[in-house]
Amino acid sequence: MPEERLDLPQGTLDLLILKALSLGPQHGWAISERLHQVSRATLQVPQGSLYPALHRLERRGWISARWDTSDNNRKAKYYELTKSGRRQLEDEAEDWRRLSAAVELVLAMR
Amino acid sequence: MISELLSDLKYRFRALFRRGEMEHELDDEMRFHLEREAEKYQAAGMSPEEAHRRARVVFGGVDVVKEESRDAWGLSYLESIMQDLRYAIRALRRNPGFTVGVMVTLALGIGANTAMFSVVDRLLFRSPPLLRDPDQVHRIYFASMDRGTEDARSGTEYTRYLDMRRWTSDFSDLAAFSVRGLAVGVGNDTREGQVATISASLFDLFDAKPVVGRFFTAQEDTVPVGAMVAVLGYGYWQTNYGGRSDVLGQSIEVGSTKYTIIGVAPRNFIAFSEEGAPAVFVPITAYAGTFRAGPQLTNYYTRYNWSWLEILARRKPGITLVQAEADLSRAYRLSWDNEQSLQHTLPPAEIARPHAIAAPVQTERGPNQSRLAKVATWVSSVAAIVLLIACANVANLMLARSIRRRREIAVRLALGVSKGRLVRQLLTESLLLATAGGALGLIVGHWGGALIRALVLPDHGAGHTLSDHRTLGFALAISLGAGIITGMAPIFQVRRTDLSDSLKAGVREGGSRRTRARTGLLLLQAVLSVVLLVGAGLFVRSLRNVEAVRLGYDVDPILYIYPNTRSLKLSDDAAEATRRQLVETARSLPGVESAALGLTVPFWDTWTEELFVTGIDSVGRLGSFTIQGVSPEYFATMGTRILRGRGITAEDRKGTPLVAVLSQAMATTLWPGQEALGRCLRMNSDTMPCVTVVGIAENIKQNSITEDPGLHYYLPIEQFHPEAAVVFARVKGIAAGQAESLRRQLQPLMPGDSYLTVTPMHEIVDPNVRSWQLGATMFLVFGGLALVLSGIGLYSVVAYDVAQRTHELGVRIALGASVSDVIRVVVGDGLRFILIGILFGGGLALWAGRWIQPLLYAVSPRDPVVFGVVAGVLLFAAGLASLLPALRASRVDPTVALRTE
Repeated sequence: MPEERLDLPQGTLDLLILKALSLGPQHGWAISERLHQVSRATLQVPQGSLYPALHRLERRGWISARWDTSDNNRKAKYYELTKSGRRQLEDEAEDWRRLSAAVELVLAMR
Repeated sequence: MISELLSDLKYRFRALFRRGEMEHELDDEMRFHLEREAEKYQAAGMSPEEAHRRARVVFGGVDVVKEESRDAWGLSYLESIMQDLRYAIRALRRNPGFTVGVMVTLALGIGANTAMFSVVDRLLFRSPPLLRDPDQVHRIYFASMDRGTEDARSGTEYTRYLDMRRWTSDFSDLAAFSVRGLAVGVGNDTREGQVATISASLFDLFDAKPVVGRFFTAQEDTVPVGAMVAVLGYGYWQTNYGGRSDVLGQSIEVGSTKYTIIGVAPRNFIAFSEEGAPAVFVPITAYAGTFRAGPQLTNYYTRYNWSWLEILARRKPGITLVQAEADLSRAYRLSWDNEQSLQHTLPPAEIARPHAIAAPVQTERGPNQSRLAKVATWVSSVAAIVLLIACANVANLMLARSIRRRREIAVRLALGVSKGRLVRQLLTESLLLATAGGALGLIVGHWGGALIRALVLPDHGAGHTLSDHRTLGFALAISLGAGIITGMAPIFQVRRTDLSDSLKAGVREGGSRRTRARTGLLLLQAVLSVVLLVGAGLFVRSLRNVEAVRLGYDVDPILYIYPNTRSLKLSDDAAEATRRQLVETARSLPGVESAALGLTVPFWDTWTEELFVTGIDSVGRLGSFTIQGVSPEYFATMGTRILRGRGITAEDRKGTPLVAVLSQAMATTLWPGQEALGRCLRMNSDTMPCVTVVGIAENIKQNSITEDPGLHYYLPIEQFHPEAAVVFARVKGIAAGQAESLRRQLQPLMPGDSYLTVTPMHEIVDPNVRSWQLGATMFLVFGGLALVLSGIGLYSVVAYDVAQRTHELGVRIALGASVSDVIRVVVGDGLRFILIGILFGGGLALWAGRWIQPLLYAVSPRDPVVFGVVAGVLLFAAGLASLLPALRASRVDPTVALRTE
């Protein structure tokens, strides 16, 4: 395990969840694993805080949930991106890119 | 955006009402997560215990996650509302007197409005059940100039209906419709029922499918005689056939004709009937084609002499009302020309200026709105004023309460409760009160509405307030409105609350004087009460004037007996003999004082013939002269007085000289300022023999109690249609209770399947008095309600003042003021107040009087007696309302009052 791990900036967890779900329906644990692996274990996603975030997104109608049987034959709650969730992901991703590009520019200042 | 809001709301509600289920799911979800995480560590070689412990550490605190999830569910917002509700309930229960007072006040206001709504909605707004797109469907009226005034009628001829079908193009459906009271059934089961004779096209206006069988088609509704088929009304089918489907193919006797049952109409289908659900629907051409006027079949589809039906039409999509009326008027003009070519006495179109009107389906929204509907509309605005007064009262109580709670509110603000939250809390309270008041009001409205409907719409059948969604919706809407209005006042108070002042001030300074808002509300109540009471007074006087009108005949002891011959074809002689037998038998019955033959009955039908008088160019232009055929006992039986000359006697028979008795109005219209006795009338043609005027009778009312020219004359029945006579009986005491026994005793005289209907004269006259009764009763009830509410309002304000001024009054008494001084101060305050209210209210009532004038009778809207009495009543009520607190004030013990500070 690498020593250096980053806490998530405020509000980016939603973006990451939406992105993780854009690849297909997943249950909570799998989302957490995927974020962990894809970020090469750099991002510190507190596993517990994933669930309130998922529920908030569900309430906003960006993701939908259903119970299904998981790969090892147990009941698990699967989340899936909705149409408006997909739009939201695009918007948020764009915002993020513009923000990080701007921050990048400022940091590149001489 | 909208869909997101909806999903949000759905989710929140699920969280609120399915809380347990959501918690359970969250537990399952977290357990699954922890198990998978633990499996991962076990796969990496940890022991099961170690793996589970590790999974929990990485996951974080389960309780924190649960707490945050609940936040994410959006429960906190809803929970704060529940909190407000609980808080409000607690606060209201602490103050039961206030709570009950407010609830009852609002219940009266809301109940009054709900009751009136249930009436006005049925009169003016509700369209017949199952009618598709009611906005596109119109009742057609035909207007033309008649003797200088325009007159619009919805009743018309079948020929006209065919003309309109032929010559209009802007309508997708045109239907003809008429409800007839006819005998329905066979033998002992025969009952007089409502029979809807309708064109086949009428079904197309509705979204109605037969529950059994089918409706009739255009091929079965053709001139000259349509198919003898009948569709049963749902209710009739249920009661008389037990809802069996084997009715199809059975025959049913309607009027004097046999029909074959081909279907049953759906529940609620009443076509356009305003007399409740018809028993049977038959093709209009089947009825008209077999209808006999005397011995002849009518030429109902080529001539314009039988006006008996109404036309309803649906505009084509995209056609405006203006276009539709132009289209109709064009067709009517062609139809008029056609009629004029057949009947030359009809004035040409250039003079009559015929045009058609496409009005809403509801007759009361058409050009001939009844006085009753107008009064009902007025009364419902009066109900709205009562609600306004109730709201003012409640707002006043709320204000008083919030002034008392000023310190509590200030403390809560100081403790960091946001003003917004506080406002929400106060609003929750007033909405809760209003909803509770509304629920109570529904009960008031249910009973009240049933009473008023019985008075106004006796024919519309019972409608249940509590199961009618329109009325329920209305009650809910005004309850919420009342809640918001009454909640406004305390809210302003909160927004103005200045923390440090309120906290520093003692209880006494918390609101020692009444605020401007409270004064304004009180004044408003007084003004509105004056206006309502003046209205009540005017209507009561009108009603008394109407009831005092001499009709020209007695009402209470009279029964009207109508022989219905049905399919029986009697010769004129036989018909006459039957009638003579009826009147003679009736006369011999115990309880009957006298009986007589007549021809028509006031308010229900009239008979006219063309008249010719030497020296008068056109008698018809002077007005419409109606005929009553009478036997000699008629005047004594009815109580109509002979003023001069003689009445009709037994000597006036067939073959003796023709004679007539004229109403006084007719005599002075024909021969103003001259002697009418001995003059000569000729009927139908100026070459006919002379009918000599032998007597003058008092005027009678037969069309309208208040405006009736009373141009009426009497002919001996033996000289004028004895075969069509009806019977009037004068009984001892009130006639209503004796109608049925009389019918039973006379019925055996009726040959074949003919039968008698016996109607108390009261039932015939009453509907004409109803609008004044409604106005007087409802204005009086609502005016009284307003007075009581305002009295309570004044009382509560004065009482509150007195409580606040205990200290001051104590000082006065200590300084030597007498009991009467104190009473004078307090009562004087209240009276001053009401005097201002009387002045403003009186002014308002004077100003508004001109609108109500057309609904009054023989009383000026500025009637000084009414205004005087109202002022007196109000002063008395105000005196009473302030005397009670004044007496309490006068008993203030100065030592106690001064020590409490």
